[in-house]
Amino acid sequence: MGRLTPMASGSILSLLIPAVGGQGGGVLSEWIVDAALIDGLSVHGTSIPGVAQRTGSTTYYVELFTERGGDEPAFSLYPVPGALDVLVAPEFLEVGRMIELGFVSPGRTTVIASTHRLLSIHEKIATGRAIYPQEGLQRAAEAAAQRLIAFDALALARAHGTEPNAVLLGALAGAAVLPVSVDAFRKAIEAKGVAVKANLVGFELGLGLATASTTRDTMAGGPGAPSLDPAAATAPVAVPRELDDAISAMPPSVRAIVAHGVARLVDYQDVAYARRYLELVRPFVADDAASPARVELGRNVARYLALWMTYEDAVRVADLKTRASRFARIRASAPAKNAEIVVTDFLKPDLDEIWGVLPDRLVRPLARWAERRWPHGRPTLGQHVRTTTVSGFLRVWLLARLKRWRPISYRAREEHTRIARWLDAVRVCAARDAALGAEVARAAQLVKGYGDVRRRMLALHEAIVAGVLRAAELESRRSATVAVSTALAARLRALVLAGPDGEAKVPAMVSAALARLEAGDVAGALTSV
Amino acid sequence: MGERSFAEDVKQLGYGEGQILRGEGILAITKALLQSGVSYVGGYPGAPISHLLDVMADANESLLRPMGIYFELSGSEAAAAALLGASINYPMRGAVTWKSVVGTNVASDPLSHVASAGVRGGSLIVIGEDYGEGASILQERTHSAALKSSIPLLDPRNSLTSFARFVEEGFGLSEACNEPVFFSIRIRACHMRGTLRCRDNVRPAISMRSPVEQPSFDLQRINLPPFTYAMEAKKFTERLPAARRYIVEHRLNEHRPGPESQLGIVMQGGLWNTVVRGLHVLGLADVYGRTPVPLLILNALHPLVPEELIGFLRGKSHVLVVEEGMPNYIERELKAYAHDARLDVEIHGKELLSPHGEYVPALVVGGLRKFFTVAPPAATSVTAIEDRYAALTAHQEKARGFLPQPIDKRPPSFCTGCPERPLFSAMKILRTKDPSIGDTHVAADIGCTTFSTQAPFNVGNSVLGYGMGLASAGAVAPTFGKRVISIMGDGGFWHNGLTNGVASAVYNKQDSVLVIVDNKYTSATGQHHNPSTGTNARNETTGMTIPQALRGVGVKWIKTIDSYDMAKTIATLREALTTRVPGLKVIIAEGECMLERQRRIKPLARKQAAAGQTVVQPQFGVDPDVCTGDHSCMRLNGCPSLTLRESPDPLREDPIAHVDASCVGCGVCGEVAHAAVLCPSFYEVKTITNPGWWTRLLARARGAVIARLAFP
Repeated sequence: MGRLTPMASGSILSLLIPAVGGQGGGVLSEWIVDAALIDGLSVHGTSIPGVAQRTGSTTYYVELFTERGGDEPAFSLYPVPGALDVLVAPEFLEVGRMIELGFVSPGRTTVIASTHRLLSIHEKIATGRAIYPQEGLQRAAEAAAQRLIAFDALALARAHGTEPNAVLLGALAGAAVLPVSVDAFRKAIEAKGVAVKANLVGFELGLGLATASTTRDTMAGGPGAPSLDPAAATAPVAVPRELDDAISAMPPSVRAIVAHGVARLVDYQDVAYARRYLELVRPFVADDAASPARVELGRNVARYLALWMTYEDAVRVADLKTRASRFARIRASAPAKNAEIVVTDFLKPDLDEIWGVLPDRLVRPLARWAERRWPHGRPTLGQHVRTTTVSGFLRVWLLARLKRWRPISYRAREEHTRIARWLDAVRVCAARDAALGAEVARAAQLVKGYGDVRRRMLALHEAIVAGVLRAAELESRRSATVAVSTALAARLRALVLAGPDGEAKVPAMVSAALARLEAGDVAGALTSV
Repeated sequence: MGERSFAEDVKQLGYGEGQILRGEGILAITKALLQSGVSYVGGYPGAPISHLLDVMADANESLLRPMGIYFELSGSEAAAAALLGASINYPMRGAVTWKSVVGTNVASDPLSHVASAGVRGGSLIVIGEDYGEGASILQERTHSAALKSSIPLLDPRNSLTSFARFVEEGFGLSEACNEPVFFSIRIRACHMRGTLRCRDNVRPAISMRSPVEQPSFDLQRINLPPFTYAMEAKKFTERLPAARRYIVEHRLNEHRPGPESQLGIVMQGGLWNTVVRGLHVLGLADVYGRTPVPLLILNALHPLVPEELIGFLRGKSHVLVVEEGMPNYIERELKAYAHDARLDVEIHGKELLSPHGEYVPALVVGGLRKFFTVAPPAATSVTAIEDRYAALTAHQEKARGFLPQPIDKRPPSFCTGCPERPLFSAMKILRTKDPSIGDTHVAADIGCTTFSTQAPFNVGNSVLGYGMGLASAGAVAPTFGKRVISIMGDGGFWHNGLTNGVASAVYNKQDSVLVIVDNKYTSATGQHHNPSTGTNARNETTGMTIPQALRGVGVKWIKTIDSYDMAKTIATLREALTTRVPGLKVIIAEGECMLERQRRIKPLARKQAAAGQTVVQPQFGVDPDVCTGDHSCMRLNGCPSLTLRESPDPLREDPIAHVDASCVGCGVCGEVAHAAVLCPSFYEVKTITNPGWWTRLLARARGAVIARLAFP
């Protein structure tokens, strides 16, 4: 069979482009095919268009024959898992998808990928963080590929006014995995005649990147959780001496969080308010010698208390919307240079938000009535405000001036009563077990949103805290630990953060766990959560 | 017309003898039609054959009209199939095309009649076999339609040269057997880019330039008894035998003998590439597909030629049939022949491959490996094959293990700024805010609107076929506790929704709500013209409108809304769902397809800006310090440009909403936040490039005041 071994007469190289519809994977594959033709190689390419093109995953496939002249080989219309030579991925999750499908083999496949992400709808619609772990993708790509060239082509392209596809084409040329000359790629771009100049710029960028380094690029630009610099001993904005001292008095493990918290509170209200925050936080903070759970408890309280105390009332929104820095930010993001901008804000405060800023004494009776009158969905005051006009700006700006009266406002009273309730629960639970306390503190992560959404999230938060309190009480009667209650708190928070479907499961899970605990079935309760 | 412009392709369609055409498979087919002297071409667009119609439309003025060739974008596949009626009476060649199997289903009635009456002029039906990966529709094959109507079916080997040859053979075959012929091409093959050595185009004898003068009448061609019986008899006594003769004489099927003569592989022509690649990776073929294992490549799947097949089977111990789709007609027929001929050969097929699914390499390689273990080749050791197979697959489980968690699906959805999105946002908002009327049965339809069934909307309880939204609610409406809603795109409406949906519902006094999403194009297939576009595929003005048509069939309650006006949309839906007016309530949600719109206005804006003219570009944004990251907007919107990013405040753990640069400023995100009372985070920023002096002055004045008051 010697005459029939694959190496008998030139070999076929295969290249797969897994793209997201609308990314222009088609243009990229056409460039590659044209370049090969220009170099006199026999080549073919194919694709899966149709509705898949509309933001769905779609693939483009190219095969070329290393032997020039002679007759055409038997090209395949599909890649063979395990026999793929090159993967060029304009988006990073699609690399993962190809690994899952078995197209990336450590013995053979060179992967050239942009590390930027186009989030899938499922990553977007969760209430919490559902973004695919970027480091995980990176590690998988490194392990699965024979050679990996990964960098943020999108960021690079944006920075140089070009397209990611052109940058990736350059990287492909630079990687020298195809018997196609760099010049042929350039000619292909010129021949296509679409945005030739910009695309050539992108091409040279990618070319340089791939040739210069044996690139194992770190995940520049890839989405990852925000980091708090533990070394940050002082607040990110200037705050009075006394506060700075208070911050530096904190153990290193919480210092950065408290620093950001204090800064946020001063910016939100004033120094006195920040002082109050510090007083509330202090009892929960343990020095770093304490158990990890105790440390975690302090960090959680410091974080969520700062966020909750700076609840977004109409005054806060007005304040943020009328800052010079905001208009500067928007102007900077405007596409064109020689341009003016007109900003229109979509504001629709509901009844609670409107009178939330008024003095508590005045509003409380009305509020009671309103809650009965409109149990869900309060009347709203919708308006499109053009905040770059003087009149529009003033309307919002004047609202921001009410900041001074915020402490006596109806909303302030409401929020601080709730905060106190939460902190009490944390205290009680922490007394039983630090880990439980830390989890109950985290339940405040659910307190977010505006209007109906916030009311819904608050209700869930309070249901969870109440449920866990009761569970802890029952559990501690029958067992030395509060493992069930701790697990329950964590599980319930996860459910809500997963989205509405998860929310719906909360009441059932609470009652199931409580029922088991009341029946004294601790083990069963633990499995139920 | 169409998604792309095909100026370059059109030029190549004019190529003459010896010139080299470079393009996709479907372009080679289109060129071959012109080389075969067609008098008329028609069809209904749909992946994967839309391109054929797009290119023909673009070539109409410069190429088709001068040659007297009639071209139309037919109203439906049935209308396209009926075009073949021209070839029943008159010796003219014609070709029609559509996406199959759905298109073939729609076309069945006229197809059966054409196949019964028979044709004098060669008639080719180019069907884009949209089966398997990327297929947007149900998984069926066209083979059974060919069998039931005795329509010969070609499934040629995948190369542009082979496509061109079989188009020309197809016409010959059709004329030899007086039946229309199916030319089947798979989705990837349509978009396969390669080269073709051209021949001169042929001017049709009968055309718009040299029309027929005398009508031809022949009772034999009228589908009424007793002639129908004669027609049936003819099919099996004359036409199919003639087809078999042609297939043999013109060697449409390829027999490739080889030293492993005790073995053999029979395959559909369209699977040849995959099979020989499979043999190649297992070490049993070279890159050219030369293999010691004898192959029988069936480029003609119907009718099969017994002598040919028996000839191949004779003297073999094991034969593998590689046949995509069920039922496995070829395998069964082969087994029957072998039995009748008393051949001692084992015929394998579905049991070694798979009873279902697209025959992709992974599946075919697996099947071949199994075949060679039950039927070992003489010259290659099974262990050698096993080793190659292991080398191919060993890494796969391991590689999957590298991933921390499974990869999310990425379902297709509405494009950035799509006018259909706000409609479904409105429906979802109404469903959550007022379930008593909004949480009702929704009969969805085919087209871009089908994406409403996907996340984040999940609006739509059933999909029954193109333009069938309303019809599919026919029995639900009277038996459901609330007023039900059905959806229809303008494409589906004109395709058959007007008759099968609206007329039928009015006629039967159905009390329900129909929402027609009118984006002015048949967008899912690539922005094809339809009567709502205002011009036909030949860019002639048509002046047909949906309201006219609705009134014509007696609809009284018609409301037209701008789909971007969320408040109005919700209010109109609410009214339609609650009004006392009986009968059908029709809401026309208008908004031009954003893909098409951007294609038009983007270059224009760029030109104007460059020329120093004032250009206003709206975009949307989210204030990162105002957004608290609850993602409610995502669950009501799903715009690709509305995404997530990290909060500027490291205290916030959950990512916040962010509108990226791809935003086209349609405003839906803001309207959704407004209508659902979500949050004050969204803002619109209008960028006025090259502003006039007054705008500049005003902006400066305003800026001064604001700068005075604003805090840092």
